[in-house]
Amino acid sequence: MSERMNTQSQNKPAAIKRGVSLYSYQQQQFFEKMDWKDMIREVHDNLHTDGIEIIMDSIVPRYPFPTEQFIYDWNNTMARYNMKAVTADVFLDVHQFRDHVMNHEEAALRLKNDIIIASKMGFENVRTLSSVPIDVIEMALETAEKYGVRIGKEIHFPIPIKQRTQKKNKYGMSAVRDFRLVQQIIDLKEKTGSPFVGLVPDFGIFQHKASKVTVDYERRNAKYPEEVDFIVENRDKLSFDDLVDLAHEKYPDGEMTITSMERLAVHESISQPEDIVDIIPYILSIHGKFYDMTEIPGKPGCYEEACIDYENPVKYLKACGYEGYIDSEYEGQRDQQDMGYEGLADEVEQVRRHHEMLARLIGE
Amino acid sequence: MFDNFLIRKDSLKNDYKEGKAVGFQFAVKIADYRGCFLSLHNGYYIECDGVEYDRSAQTFEVNGKGERTFEELKKCVWEHWDYATEAIVHVKKDGGLAPGMHTIRLQQSILMQYGYAPWDEEWVKNPPVPGSGQGSGKSSFIFAYELQLNEGGNDDE
Repeated sequence: MSERMNTQSQNKPAAIKRGVSLYSYQQQQFFEKMDWKDMIREVHDNLHTDGIEIIMDSIVPRYPFPTEQFIYDWNNTMARYNMKAVTADVFLDVHQFRDHVMNHEEAALRLKNDIIIASKMGFENVRTLSSVPIDVIEMALETAEKYGVRIGKEIHFPIPIKQRTQKKNKYGMSAVRDFRLVQQIIDLKEKTGSPFVGLVPDFGIFQHKASKVTVDYERRNAKYPEEVDFIVENRDKLSFDDLVDLAHEKYPDGEMTITSMERLAVHESISQPEDIVDIIPYILSIHGKFYDMTEIPGKPGCYEEACIDYENPVKYLKACGYEGYIDSEYEGQRDQQDMGYEGLADEVEQVRRHHEMLARLIGE
Repeated sequence: MFDNFLIRKDSLKNDYKEGKAVGFQFAVKIADYRGCFLSLHNGYYIECDGVEYDRSAQTFEVNGKGERTFEELKKCVWEHWDYATEAIVHVKKDGGLAPGMHTIRLQQSILMQYGYAPWDEEWVKNPPVPGSGQGSGKSSFIFAYELQLNEGGNDDE
C-alpha cells in the first residue's frame, strides 16, 4: 500500500478523496425511490466525485450468489460514469445455520466468498465488522491476495483507536467488544507482511455527544420522556454503569433498552483526533458517519455535523498525507421514521451537505 | 427502523380457502438496512385488535415460493430475503377479519447481529420469542398500525 501511495504522491499533492456509502440512501431504496444506479448517478452528477461504497447485503440481489447479469450491469454502470468501487461492507451472521453457531472456519469461508464477489464488482476493499475474530481474517488473507481485494477491519464505536483506560463497562456494547482490535491488525500485518489487511475507521469514534435527532427520537418513543432527560443531563456526571443502575432505580418500569441508553449517554469521543496519526499507514478507507448536517450560523450554504468532530481529524489526515477516501455514511434517517411520510429525512440533501463540508475541510 | 412503514398501509386482506375466510395477510419489508438469509427470520410478534397470534399461526411468503412456516424457513440457510423486497405475512384466523379499521401491533424478530455475542449458544437451543425484546434487531419497539380492510370476512354468514 505504501508503495502505491508514494508513486501517487510524486505526481500530485496528497489529497483526501470523497466518496459515498450507498447505505446513506437506505430509506430511498426501501421506498423504491432510488435504485443503486440512481445513487451512483447522484454521486457523479451532483457530488462531482467518484467514490462508491456499498453494503453488499443490501445492493447485491440474490446475495451471496449474484447473477452474472448483475455483475456485468454493475461494472458497466460504474464504467459508464467512471466511478471507483472503494469498499464493500460485509457482515457476519453467526446464526445463519440455526442448528449451530457458525464456527471460525465457516465464518472465514463466508468472508472468502464475499471477497470473491467484491473482486468481481471491482472493489478495492472489503470492510469486516469490528467484531470479526482476527483468526477469521487471517484465514481469508490468502484469498484476499489472490483476488486483489484488501480486508479492512472497522474501528467502530465503542472500540477506540487507543485504549486510554483498562476499565470495561458492565453494560452495553463496550462490555462485549474486544478492544485489542487495532493492535491485532497491526500485529497480523507485521507477521504476514501482507499489504492486504488494514483498518477502516468510522468517524463515530469522534462523536462527542448524542445527536439531537437521536435524543428527539428517544424522547418521542420513551415510556417516560423524563428518563431520556435524566440520562442526557447526567451523562457526564456519572459512569455509564452507574447511569444505567440509577435510571433503572428511578424508572423501574421504564422500558428503555441498554442500546438506547448507550447512544444517549455519549458525552465525549472515544478517540482523540490526533490518535489517527499512528494508524494512517494502515487505513484502507474511512467511514464518514453522520446524523444531521445543519447550517453553520452566519454561514449560509456551509454545513456542520454538530455532534462529530470532522475538522480536527481531517486536519491530521491531511497533514500526514492520507490520500484515500472518506465515504459518507448517513445514519440520522432512522431516527425520523416514526413521524409519518412528512417527517422523513431527506437523505439526498443530507449527503449533499456532508460533501459541502468534506470538500471545504479537505481544501478542494 | 422504518417504524411507521414495516407494513404497507393498503395491504390488509383476508385469506380464503374454498370460499371461506381462513385468516388475513399483509405486506411487509425488512426492518433493517440490509437483507437477510431466510433462516435468520424468527417470526413476528403480532397482535390484531388485542388478540395475539404467535408463530404457529404465521406463515411467510417471499421469493415467489408460496407460504412457508418459520420452522421451514429455518432450513433455508442460503436463500436470501433481499433488502427492500416485499413479502407477505399470513395469519391463521377462522373467519378472517371483518371489514373496517383494524389495529395491528407488530415486532419483527430476525436473528441478525454484529458477529458473535454471549447469548449465541442459548439462541441455538432456545430462540428468542418474538416480542420479548430479545432478537428484535433493528425493530426496536412493537409498532402499531391502523389498517383499513375494505371487504371480506365471514362474520355476516
